[in-house]
Amino acid sequence: MSTPDAIIRAEGLTRRFGDFTAVDDLTIRVATGSIFAFLGANGSGKSTTIRMLIGLLTPTTGEIEVDGVDVIRNPRLVRDHIGYMGQKVSLYQGLSVRENVEFYAGLYGLDAAALRERWGALSERLSLRDVEHEHPADLPAGVRQRTGLALSTLHRPRVLFLDEPTAGVDVHNRALFWELIAEEARAGVTVFVTTHFLEEADYCDRVCFIESGRLEADGTPAELRARWSQGYRVRLAGDAALADAPDLRRLLERCAPDGIELRRTPEGVEIAAGQLGREWLRAVGDLQRTHPSLRVSVDEPPMTGIFRALSGRPA
Amino acid sequence: MSLRRLWILMRREALATLRDPFTISILVLVPLMALLLFSSIMSTEVRGLSLGILDLSNGPVSRRIVRELAASGNFAPRRFATRAEIEKALRAGDISAAMILPPDFERERGARAPGSPPPQIDVMYDGGEAVLATNAEAYLKSLVLASVGRAAGPSADVVVVPPDGAAGRPGLAPGPAGEVGVEGGATSALPAPGAATPPARRAATVGIRVVPRALFNPRLDGRPYMVAGTFGFVLSFATTLIIAVSVVNERFAGTFEQLQVTPATSIEILLGKVLPLGAVFSVDVVLMMIVAWALFGVWPAGSALFFVLLSVFYMIVSLSLGVLISATSATAAEAVSKTVLLSTPLIQLSGFAFPVRNMALPFRWIAELIPATHYIRLSRAIYLRGEGPLALLPEIAVIILMGFGLGALALRAIGRRT
Amino acid sequence: MNGLRRSISNVLAVAYKETALLRHDKTLPQNVLLQPIIMLLVFGFALSFRPTQVPWAVLDRSETSASRALVADIQASGYFEPPGRVAGYAEAHRLLRSGRLGAVLVVPSDLRRRMERGRPEVQLLLDGTDPITAARVAGYVTQIASHVGRRTDPALRGRGDTSPAARTGPEAPVDLRQQFRFNPTLRDLDFYLSAMAGFLLTNICLSAAALSLVAEKENGTYEQLLAQPTRPLEVVVGKLLPNIAVSYVSLAMATIGSGLAFGFWPKGNLLLLLLATLPFVLATLSIGVFVSTLARTSAQAIFIAVFFIMPSFVLSGSMLPYQLMPHGVREFGGLFPLRWFQIIARRVIERGATFSEIAVPLGVLVAIFSVLLAAIRWRMKPRLG
Repeated sequence: MSTPDAIIRAEGLTRRFGDFTAVDDLTIRVATGSIFAFLGANGSGKSTTIRMLIGLLTPTTGEIEVDGVDVIRNPRLVRDHIGYMGQKVSLYQGLSVRENVEFYAGLYGLDAAALRERWGALSERLSLRDVEHEHPADLPAGVRQRTGLALSTLHRPRVLFLDEPTAGVDVHNRALFWELIAEEARAGVTVFVTTHFLEEADYCDRVCFIESGRLEADGTPAELRARWSQGYRVRLAGDAALADAPDLRRLLERCAPDGIELRRTPEGVEIAAGQLGREWLRAVGDLQRTHPSLRVSVDEPPMTGIFRALSGRPA
Repeated sequence: MSLRRLWILMRREALATLRDPFTISILVLVPLMALLLFSSIMSTEVRGLSLGILDLSNGPVSRRIVRELAASGNFAPRRFATRAEIEKALRAGDISAAMILPPDFERERGARAPGSPPPQIDVMYDGGEAVLATNAEAYLKSLVLASVGRAAGPSADVVVVPPDGAAGRPGLAPGPAGEVGVEGGATSALPAPGAATPPARRAATVGIRVVPRALFNPRLDGRPYMVAGTFGFVLSFATTLIIAVSVVNERFAGTFEQLQVTPATSIEILLGKVLPLGAVFSVDVVLMMIVAWALFGVWPAGSALFFVLLSVFYMIVSLSLGVLISATSATAAEAVSKTVLLSTPLIQLSGFAFPVRNMALPFRWIAELIPATHYIRLSRAIYLRGEGPLALLPEIAVIILMGFGLGALALRAIGRRT
Repeated sequence: MNGLRRSISNVLAVAYKETALLRHDKTLPQNVLLQPIIMLLVFGFALSFRPTQVPWAVLDRSETSASRALVADIQASGYFEPPGRVAGYAEAHRLLRSGRLGAVLVVPSDLRRRMERGRPEVQLLLDGTDPITAARVAGYVTQIASHVGRRTDPALRGRGDTSPAARTGPEAPVDLRQQFRFNPTLRDLDFYLSAMAGFLLTNICLSAAALSLVAEKENGTYEQLLAQPTRPLEVVVGKLLPNIAVSYVSLAMATIGSGLAFGFWPKGNLLLLLLATLPFVLATLSIGVFVSTLARTSAQAIFIAVFFIMPSFVLSGSMLPYQLMPHGVREFGGLFPLRWFQIIARRVIERGATFSEIAVPLGVLVAIFSVLLAAIRWRMKPRLG
C-alpha cells in the first residue's frame, strides 16, 4: 500500500467547510528523511492541510498515513511519532522557557534524566541556554521560534510538522532556522514545512505549490525551475563587441542547440537559459579565458516568478 | 488515562493560574464581595422607616402612640400639618407610610357607648413598594395596637403582645386585600418569647385566631436564605466565567491545539483544567462558609462536610458548562459575553432571590433546567433545614445527571476535530 | 464660541462614525429587540414575591365544620394547592423539612369547645427558609381565618357586629383602617415593571460603553484617536451619542411592551420620565467608559462592567427594597445610578410624581455623571497605555 520510503502519504485529501472548499483533492508523498515544503499564499489551504495530516482536523474525503499510522482512524496513535510547531508558537505565557520544556517533556513521557540529556543538547544547538528562565513574552520572535522548534523535537519524533515556522522572524534568524532544519533532516528526521516565503523552497528537497486548495505543482526546486520559470539569466558583461564575438556564438550553439534568447544590454549580453548544467559552466569558463575582462553573473529564477507563472496559468 | 500526565497538566494549570494576578483577585474577591453584598439584601425587618404623622387630635394617647413608635426603632415619625402635605410626601416617596389620627380620637376613646364603632386611624402605605409596604404594615399594626393597649391600662380586654425587645418582631404580614381590618383580639403577631398569654375573651369571637410558627428560621431572618443562595451564584457565575476565558485564551494562543497533538487525552486535558480550578474554588467555599459564620453567624444546620462535597461536585458542573461556552467562542470577549448572557437569568430564575414556585409555569420549567436552581435548593435545605443526603437524594441525582451530561459534552468539545 | 462650535462638530463627526459602526453591529438588534422582550416576559411572569401554588397540608384533629370551612376557604383563596393530610407532628415536620410543604395547618381536637369559649385558635407551621414567603403565607391564612367562624358556625351567627363595613369587634380599642396607595391590590408586577427599564438601560449602556474604547485599544486605533485634534472628551461624547439614541429606543420598547402585555402604563408625565432618563443614561454610560479606560482587553472590560452591573441590580432596590438593607450596604448601593433612577421611575410611573418630587435623585444622577466625566478626562489625558 504505502511506498516503503514515503513516510507521509495523503491521497485525494479534501476538506470542505459548508460551501467553501479549503483543500481540494490533494495527493502528496513525502520521502523519509526529506525536507518537504508546502508553499502557498495566505488562505491557500496550507494550514488546513497540515492540521489534517496531524489529526487535528478530519478531512471530508481522502486518506492519510503518517509513519504507518492511519491518521483519520487513529489520530491519537500518531501523536508519539510526530512533532508539531503551530503558527502561533504555543508557549505558555505564565511559565518560563524551562518550565514549558519540562511540561511538554512530561507529556511525552520523558523522564528527568532523558530530559536533562536531550534539553542539554538541544539548548546548546539552538542557543537557548541563556533564555531558559525567561518568559515567552519577553523574548524576540527569533528566539521564540527556536524554542518552538526545540519543543517539537524534544521527544525525537520521526516526523516534524512545522506550520509557517519563520513567520515574523527577521532574515538572519530565518537562515539560522533553516540550518537547524537541515541538521534535523541529516539526522534522519522527515520535515514537513509550510511557508509563504517562496525563497525558502530552495532549502527543501521537494516543493509543492498549493493555491485555492489545489495542488498546482510538485517537484524538486530544480524541476520546478526547469518547468515553470523563464530560465536562468546569464549576464555577460564586457565590451559591446561581445555580442558579436564568434566564440560566444559557438558557445551558444554547443550548449543550447535549440536556440537561445540573446539580448543586448548596455554592458554586454543577457542570455536566458532553461537549464544551467555543467556544459554551460564549462563553456562560460572557456569564454572567460579568452575574454579576461568578461564578468559573468547568473540569476537564478526566483520562486516568485515560478509561482506567478503557476497562478497565471489557466485552471 | 495516565495519572502522571494528568498530574503534569494539573501542575501547569496551577502554576499558570496562581501567577496571574487578575485570576487570583477574581477567585478571592468575587466570592467575598458577593457574600457581603447579597447576604443582607433580603429582610423582613423594618428599621427607621420614615412614617408621616398627621395628628389632628394631639392628645396624650396619640402622642404616646407616636412616641412609642419612635422608640421602637422600627419607624422614624415625621410630623405633618395638613393632609395635602402628607399625601404629597407619600407620593414623592419622602415617607413610606402615613398615619392620620382623627381630631376626635381621644374623645372617642374615652367615652364610648358599648356597641359603637371604635375610633379610626387611617394608615396609608406606599403600595408602589409592595414588599416594603407589607412588612411595614405588620410592624405598624402590632406596635399601634400594643401602644393603645398599654394606654388603656392593664384591665383592658385587649390582647397585648409586647414587642420583642428593640426589634419589635411580629414578622408577619397580612394579605393583600384592599382594606385590612383588625380585630382587637386576633392579631397576626407571633407571640414573643415570654409574652403574657392573652386573657380570656368572652363575648363574640369573630374569626379564628392563627398562631404561626416558623420552623428552621423562627426569626424569619433573610440572611441564611441569601447566604445559601450566594454560594449558588458564585459557584455558577464565577466558575463558568474563569474557565471559559482560560480555555478561550488557550485556543487563541495556540497552546490548546498543541496539547491536542501531544499524547494527552481529552479527559486528561479536561480534568487538568477543571481539577485545579475546582480545588481553588473549594477553598473559596470553605472561606465563604467561615466568613458567613463570622459576620452573620450563619452556619449550615446540617452537615458542613456534606455541603462542601456537594458544592465541589456542583462546581464540576459549572466548570463543564464553562468549557462548552469556550468551545463556541472565538475570543475571550465573546466567552465573557456569553457567560454573562447566561448568568443574568441565573440571578432571576434560579430561585436565588425570587422563589421558583411563584413563577408562571413555563418559567418554572425553564428554572428546573438550570443546574443552579437545584444546587441552590440543596444549599438551602442543608443550611437552613439541616437535611441530610438521604432525604435530598432526588435533587442530588438531578445534579449528578446534569454533571455527567455536561461533562460528556465538554469532553467532546475538547476532543473535537472541527 | 468658535471653540464650542468646533467641539460640537468634532463630537458629531465621531458620533457619525460610531453610528456607521453601530449599523453593522450584530448585537444591536439583540439588545434593542430581544433583551426587552425577554426581560418583559421574565419580569412580568416570573419575578414575584407573592406566593402561589403553595403546597400545604392539614393536621386536623377536630374534624368540625369550622375546620373544614377554614380549609375550604384557604383552598378557595387561590394561593394554595389542594391540601394534603398528615397524621401527626412528626410527619408534618418531615415534610416541611424536606421542602415538600410550605405550611401545615394544625387544628386542635378541642376547636369547637374553644370556639364556644370565644378563643378559637389553630396553629400554622411554616417552612421558615424563605422569610418573605413564610411571612406572606402566614398573613394570608391569618386573614382568611379571621373571617371564617362568622360565616359557617350558626352558633356564632348574629353575634357581634356583623355589618360588612366594620370588620372589627365592638370590643376593639381602635380600628386601623389600612390602605395601599397607588397599588391597592399590591400587585408585585408594578414594582418590577417600573424597574425593568432601569435594568435594560444599565445592561445596554454599561456593556456598550465598556467595550467602546477597549475595542479601539485592541484594534490599535486608540493611539491614533488620541493623536487627533479632537479632544478626548469630544471623542467620548461622540461615542456615547448613538448609544443614547439606542437607549431611548429600548426604553420605548420596555414601556410600550409593559403596557401592551400587562396593561401597565405609566401614571405620571411621560415627558418627565424621558427627560429624567437622560442623566441616568449619561451616568451609566460614563461608568462604562471609565471601565473602558481601565481595561486593557475587551474580556477584562466586560468582566469589570459585569461587576458593576450585578451589584447595581441587587443593591439598587429594584429587586428588593433598599430601605430594608442594613446601613453600610444601603449607602454603598447609593453609589450606583440605577438606585436613583429606579426611585425616579417608580415615583413617576407608579405615583405620577411631578418634577419637584424627583429633583433630588435627578441631582444625584447629574452629580455622578459629572464626577465620572472628570475621572474619564483624567484617565485619558497624558498617557497612552
